[in-house]
Amino acid sequence: MLKNYFKIAIAVLRRRKFFTFISLFGISFTLTLLLVMTAFIDKVINDNYPDKKRDRSLYISKIELRGKESMNASALTYYYINHYIAKMKMPVKVAISSGYGSTNTYVNNRKIVINYKYTNADFWEVLDFDFIEGKPISKQQTDNAERVTVISEDMKKEYFGDDKSSAVGKYIEADNIKYKVCGVVKSLPITSYILYSDIYLPITTSKTKLEADKGYMGNYGAIVLAKNMDDVPKMKKEYADIVAKLPIPGKEWDHVYSHADSYIEGYVRTGSETSSGMVYALTAISLFALFVMLLPTLNLVNVNITRIMERSSEIGVRKAFGASSKTLAYQFIVENLILTFLGGMIGVVLSVVVMYFINDAQFIANLNLSLNFTVLCYAFLTCIFFGLLSGVYPAWRMSKLNIVTALKAQ
Amino acid sequence: MLKHLFKMIWNKKKQNSLLIVEILLSFMVIFAVFSFGLNSYSNYAKPMGIDYEHVWAINYNNTLETKNADSLKLFYQGLVRNIKAMPQVLDASITSANIPFSNSHMSTGIKYKGEQISQINNFWVDENYPHTLNLKLLAGRWYNKADHVPGQQIIVINNVLKERLFGNADAIGKIFGNYDDKNKIKIIGVVDNIKFDGDYQAPAKAMYALYDTSAYHWLSKILVKVSPDADAAFESRLYKFMANSLKNSNIEIEHLSNKLTAYNKFTLVPLIILSIVAAFLIINVALGIFGVLWYNINKRRGEIGLRRAVGASGNSVSYQLVNEAMILATLSLIIGSFFAVQFPLLNVFDLPSSVYVIAMLLSIIFIYILVLVCSLYPGKQAAAIYPAVALHEE
Repeated sequence: MLKNYFKIAIAVLRRRKFFTFISLFGISFTLTLLLVMTAFIDKVINDNYPDKKRDRSLYISKIELRGKESMNASALTYYYINHYIAKMKMPVKVAISSGYGSTNTYVNNRKIVINYKYTNADFWEVLDFDFIEGKPISKQQTDNAERVTVISEDMKKEYFGDDKSSAVGKYIEADNIKYKVCGVVKSLPITSYILYSDIYLPITTSKTKLEADKGYMGNYGAIVLAKNMDDVPKMKKEYADIVAKLPIPGKEWDHVYSHADSYIEGYVRTGSETSSGMVYALTAISLFALFVMLLPTLNLVNVNITRIMERSSEIGVRKAFGASSKTLAYQFIVENLILTFLGGMIGVVLSVVVMYFINDAQFIANLNLSLNFTVLCYAFLTCIFFGLLSGVYPAWRMSKLNIVTALKAQ
Repeated sequence: MLKHLFKMIWNKKKQNSLLIVEILLSFMVIFAVFSFGLNSYSNYAKPMGIDYEHVWAINYNNTLETKNADSLKLFYQGLVRNIKAMPQVLDASITSANIPFSNSHMSTGIKYKGEQISQINNFWVDENYPHTLNLKLLAGRWYNKADHVPGQQIIVINNVLKERLFGNADAIGKIFGNYDDKNKIKIIGVVDNIKFDGDYQAPAKAMYALYDTSAYHWLSKILVKVSPDADAAFESRLYKFMANSLKNSNIEIEHLSNKLTAYNKFTLVPLIILSIVAAFLIINVALGIFGVLWYNINKRRGEIGLRRAVGASGNSVSYQLVNEAMILATLSLIIGSFFAVQFPLLNVFDLPSSVYVIAMLLSIIFIYILVLVCSLYPGKQAAAIYPAVALHEE
């Protein structure tokens, strides 16, 4: 039966090539657009380099003070992390890092902008950076405040040039201080802003005294690692309890908020406690997707109806020989799904081409879009959704067709 | 004639309604793109208000041990004097972190005649600021050394804020209250608008306050105007000088022109993506309209043949078909305009209404041209139908 439908569908497609072209164009381009968007979001949110232990990590990066008329949100102080987060019982490790700042260095009258980040020793154990050369900053080096650094692959290329020789043991100057390179890691795209940096420095070499600021608002964030996945909710609870008991630092404030978030929650946190960033992000994405799909779908419905009316004699004959409306509608939806999947396949090929160009142009450095299983799953779902949406109404119209008029039209 | 065409459209309302919705939606898409694009363009056409070429911004953080305001003042004034003494430096000014084209914004509210006006960009500046950026003074005066007296309640505002508060009237000497209406502040000058959010954003309300000595604790930027021949070698010298003066601070030197390019991307990238998506949708719709019209003509061969047989010319047949398509477009545009008019009326997104009106007119013209182009070829085909052939088929 399905094989028959398939044959009919192909025959119909070949009959009116222009309409087939319109349908396939609409489907494949819409799908390409959606696929590139999904691949981008998937890359930004699901790419787990370098935080491979994401499923048992929680990210604490913000604290917010709220009063009647004012609010103040910022990253945390080292003091706060050391006194409240480091003393938690559930985490086995606490990675601490500063937000990335930038500075310049001048090599042979050439200016290089360097983004730097201060990290503690646990940072290198919680995160699994891919080391191309050398090794991470050790606990001892951190404790001794040695001037060593782990640099990114891109920074190595920019600072030391393209030669193949190892950068380990060489010196890199940043902020007027020379640091000895102890490792080179694979670069991150700037979209993973929580961990992105060009050079990573031991936290103890920070120019400001770490515990000098005893308030809440600073420039540091923490990643807490649980022993196993089951401990994550408990860890979350433990942190929430700590925050609930935090002393409020001034009369102008009446609430203090801070959360231990999973990666995605943390990524989309807007800084507003009253509305979740997740809701915003999801609404924006689905509205965009719906909008992009709405016009091509309408177009498809239009074209499909035209096509059905063209086939009214065929439908009339089948009805006259006893085919039920349901069978006919079913046949048409299947035909339409076949068409959609054909368009879908073209769309997938097109999106691979588009992604190749996007990667090649390096719009965002180190962000390489790729077609993976998740993205393909989305593509498949979109195709079904598309096919059903644009097939159901024309099929309904078709099944309503009166036999006599359909036959008489010829 | 028109009435007759309406009747024919009404008779096929089921099929036509889908077409109308499609044209309507494309109109909305085009309207959105045009509004966004026109708004960006009209902002782009406005002058920047400052000379940002050859202006560098030094980022630092105050890490001096002393808490004494006077010694801080001495230190930083000496620092600026030393920077200005460098051969390639024309002027230098310490300001708050919200320099032009930076992501940092500070805003406050004021009270004037009982009305609360909020979201006014608040800049903390010194007397060198206008010369460093070549900011024009429109009326009154800028701050001078004599203003560094504690308790002075004076302010310089920009032209947008002046027009918001006083319209065309003179602003100098007028007084308004600060955010909680406790202090009365006197306006001493009005300066030109600066597009501090980049080329494509409209200049916003702003006021420039003179900071007092206690502000040296938290100020973190020095704007430096350099001569055109200042190169990386000089920049590296300036960098070393800063790093040696402020030993415990992180120093970064940025160029305002680079910051502007980076900031402009915030507007340009969404605009480009939106345009690509819109272009794709429009091609899609155009093909769809073309296909449907073409098919309709094939279906109406009998009718067209009959008209030709009783003496209608080929032109009048194709004229009829094009007209039908245009009436469909008009119907959608009437509905579309109803929605589009709400944007300036309800003042959504805070864009000037002229932008919406022009965008609407352009979109209407665009849709008409699109429909015309899509219906011309099917119309021409219809004109080529021979009555004998068409009627023979019946």
